[in-house]
Amino acid sequence: IGFQRKPNIWKVIFETEFIITVEPLEYYRRFLKENCRPDGRELGEFRTTTVNIGSISTADGSALVKLGNTTVICGIKAEFAAPPTDAPDKGYVVPNVDLPPLCSSRFRSGPPGEEAQVASQFIADVIENSQIIQKEDLCISPGKLAWVLYCDLICLDYDGNILDACTFALLAALKNVQLPEVTISEETALAEVNLKKKSFLNIRTHPVATSFAVFDDTLLIVDPTGEEEHLATGTLTVVMDEEGKLCCLHKPGGSGLTGAKLQDCMSRAVTRHKEVKKLMDEVVKSMKPK
Amino acid sequence: MPGDHRRIRGPEESQPPQLYAADEEEAPAARDPTRLRPVYARAGLLSQAKGSAYLEAGGTKVLCAVSGPRQAEGGERGGGPAGAGGEAPAALRGRLLCDFRRAPFAGRRRRAPPGGGEERELALALQEALEPAVRLGRYPRAQLEVSALLLEDGGSALAAALTAAALALADAGVEMYDLVVGCGLSRAPGPAPTWLLDPTRLEEERAAAGLTVALMPVLNQVAGLLGSGEGGPTESWAEAVRLGLEGCQRLYPVLQQCLVRAARRRDAAAPL
Repeated sequence: IGFQRKPNIWKVIFETEFIITVEPLEYYRRFLKENCRPDGRELGEFRTTTVNIGSISTADGSALVKLGNTTVICGIKAEFAAPPTDAPDKGYVVPNVDLPPLCSSRFRSGPPGEEAQVASQFIADVIENSQIIQKEDLCISPGKLAWVLYCDLICLDYDGNILDACTFALLAALKNVQLPEVTISEETALAEVNLKKKSFLNIRTHPVATSFAVFDDTLLIVDPTGEEEHLATGTLTVVMDEEGKLCCLHKPGGSGLTGAKLQDCMSRAVTRHKEVKKLMDEVVKSMKPK
Repeated sequence: MPGDHRRIRGPEESQPPQLYAADEEEAPAARDPTRLRPVYARAGLLSQAKGSAYLEAGGTKVLCAVSGPRQAEGGERGGGPAGAGGEAPAALRGRLLCDFRRAPFAGRRRRAPPGGGEERELALALQEALEPAVRLGRYPRAQLEVSALLLEDGGSALAAALTAAALALADAGVEMYDLVVGCGLSRAPGPAPTWLLDPTRLEEERAAAGLTVALMPVLNQVAGLLGSGEGGPTESWAEAVRLGLEGCQRLYPVLQQCLVRAARRRDAAAPL
């Protein structure tokens, strides 16, 4: 469809709408040829990221992260439990990602679907591999009492790149968690909780996830929207921590990638980590006088 | 939980630290029984839903989304006389499917995800209250899905969910006779106490009876009523309903403003 000398604006609009519905991939390819995307971003550019912490007062720690339209809220509740029998000096961190029908019409109500289970397992892997919290820090009395941190992540609006948003929300919420002081009294051997004295968790590393979508087996774009994820031939998520160490790599099938492309992804992940860390520090600083 | 292999396994059981805390929670402060907490309402904030609304009243935060109309599952063949105003006959009318979810971190104690009976009861209450307001005859053989998510429970959760759901339906452009406004009430235990409008979580926890009323303000018709507990004599319940309906009327202008703002925002975003 070429432009005539005097372009008829209505004809152009009609044809654009037609192509978006009938051949969305072709529509995307035109933008990708010019090294940009329909929403005006470059191939390596993230959507506007905003984070808001501590808004849910019933939770021990909470954070709301918006990545463009994608919105994820994380609420953390801390409870007591007996430590696991095979690791009596460790506590638990139990993540759960929920994709309710309200975030997108593709999800039905009921038990967690495949995508939610994959996301939950991904978050569990990130927590385990990056050692964001030492589980030993959560132990109060070895073999008898330990903390359980239930991290519930709920997606409120699904527009692609759920894993990045979940990781960031989890990190921000964990930084916000305050646990009350617990002592085991010697006479009764029961726990005594002092709700007035609270302390923050010791966050050892700050893992940040960066997701990519592969188009036509060759082109890599960062932070895919819902539409882009649907049209992509593969996805990849890289999780880095601040020392440039790789915590987790998630590539569920899809088109293959060369070693060189993987290296590009990892260097982009390192720059993204700096961006996110700066945002996190600003937020934490603004919360300080409490 | 032992059998649930779809979620990450945690400990078999756990207790909240509040059980072991030394000091007691303070009793709720005395207040004007007819005071309504200031409400923040915003419609049209989710990109993936047809219509959405967020409502915050005191500590209660509710998000609601509407999707559809979609083809109803289990379609029935039906005939019979058509309704007034070009509506479909009764057997072919559209359906409203409501879903109420409580976030695990919404209450004082964590509630594990499969909600159970209470969520189903509240979802049914939502459906019963919203049905009179929606012109389901205009959506034959279709279903509209309304999902409400309670992010934080600060008292009167069902009332807030009702209001948010009605706003979301209006934001989605669903044909309605009127908005539905919800209001919660509670009555403290003891001899002859008063009914409190819009209770906080503390007041609700100590209440002997609770009531939620849903009103269609312009038509001045009650769309839904759900109450339980020891409320005393019948006149006391009647008094509570009257108080609740007044509360709903007072809330209505805020919701109108919210919808007007949302419509303006949508206009500004779509220049063509």
